[in-house]
Amino acid sequence: MNSNNRTLVWDLPTRLFHWLLALAVIGLVVTGKVGGNLIDWHGRIGLVVAGLIVFRLVWGVLGSTYARFATFFPTPGRIAAYLRGEWRGLGHNPLGALSVFALIGVLTVQLLTGLVANDDIAFAGPLHDLVGRDFSNLATSWHRLAVNVLIVLVVLHLAAIMFYAHVKKDNLVKPMVRGWKEGGGEPARGGGLVALLVALALAAAAVYAASGAWLPEPPPPPPAVTTPAW
Amino acid sequence: MKNKLMLALLATALTATAHAQVKTEDAIKWRQSAYATMGWSMARIKANVEGTYNKDEVIKAANVIQAIANSGMGALYVPGSDKGKGWVDTRVKPELFTDGAKVGKIAGDFNQAANELAKVAATGDAGAVKNAFGKLGGTCKSCHDDYRNK
Repeated sequence: MNSNNRTLVWDLPTRLFHWLLALAVIGLVVTGKVGGNLIDWHGRIGLVVAGLIVFRLVWGVLGSTYARFATFFPTPGRIAAYLRGEWRGLGHNPLGALSVFALIGVLTVQLLTGLVANDDIAFAGPLHDLVGRDFSNLATSWHRLAVNVLIVLVVLHLAAIMFYAHVKKDNLVKPMVRGWKEGGGEPARGGGLVALLVALALAAAAVYAASGAWLPEPPPPPPAVTTPAW
Repeated sequence: MKNKLMLALLATALTATAHAQVKTEDAIKWRQSAYATMGWSMARIKANVEGTYNKDEVIKAANVIQAIANSGMGALYVPGSDKGKGWVDTRVKPELFTDGAKVGKIAGDFNQAANELAKVAATGDAGAVKNAFGKLGGTCKSCHDDYRNK
C-alpha cells in the first residue's frame, strides 16, 4: 500500500472477524466440552458467533476485494489450475477457499442447531421454544456430531498454515495480522465505511434475532395461592 | 421328591420376593420419569440462582435430586433394557451395561454432587448453590456424553 513491495490483502474488518472467530470457536469448544455452569457462556459466545457469521456473509459481498466470495469462489476450474500449480493470485487460494466455505458452513449448522438445542440438564438454546422438543433433541444430536467436523476442519486449517510456513516458505499468519503481504499485486479495494456500517447493522440484527429477546414473554406465573401448599 | 419340589417352589418364591422382577418397559418408564423429575428440579434451582433466590424452593428441589440420586436407580438398568420403549424409546447406549467400573464412577460422582448440592442448599448460600449446581450438571453431562445415543 504505502511502499511498492507491500500489498493490502486483508482489510481490518476481515482480520478482526478472523481473530474474534478464532477466539470464539476456542471458547465454544471448551465451554461445550466442559459443561456445568460454563454452558451459559457457551450460549453467550454462540450469540457472538451469530453476529460474526452474518457479518462475514455480508462482508463477502460488500467487503474489499479479497474478502469477497466472488473473488475466491472455488470453481472446479480454479481448483484444477491451482493443483496444476498455475494459480497466481492473492488472498484465499482455491483450496483455502474450500476450507473457508466449509468452516462457515459447519459453523452455520452449529449456530442454527445450537439456538434450538437443549442439554437435558438445565440449558436450552434461546430459540428452543420455537421448535418442539423432538426437533430440539434432533438438533442437539446434530450439534454434538457436527462439532467433530468443525474440529477436523480447524486442525486441517492449522496444518495447512504449518505446511505453507515450512514447506512453501509462505507465512500466512503475518498478513492475517498486519493486513499486507510482501510483493506486488492488486491491493484490496472497496469495503468502505458505508459497507461496514451495513454489515455491522445486519450483524447486530442477527444477534438480536438469535437471542430470542423478541419472543413473547411467557405468561406470568399464576399467583401462588392457586397452587396447593404441599 | 415331593419335598424337593416344595423346596424348589419355595426357593423360587423367595428369589422372586427378593428381586421383584422389573419389566423392561416399566424399568425404562421409571428411569425416564426419574430423569424428568430431576430435570424439573434442575430448572427450578436454575431459576432461583438466576432470579430471586428462594431458599425453601431450592431446598425442596435439591432434596428431590438427592433422594433420586440415592435411590439406587442402577436397579432400573435391568439386562435387556438397553433397547425398548418407556414413555419414549430409550436412548441408552449398550456400553452402559458393560462398562461397569466407569459407569460406577460416574454414578458415584453424581451421587456425591447431588448430596453436596442438598447440603449447601440447606445453608441458603446462593453462590455455593450455583457452584454445586454447576458441578452436578457436569456429572449429568459426563454420562450423557458417553452413554446416551447422540
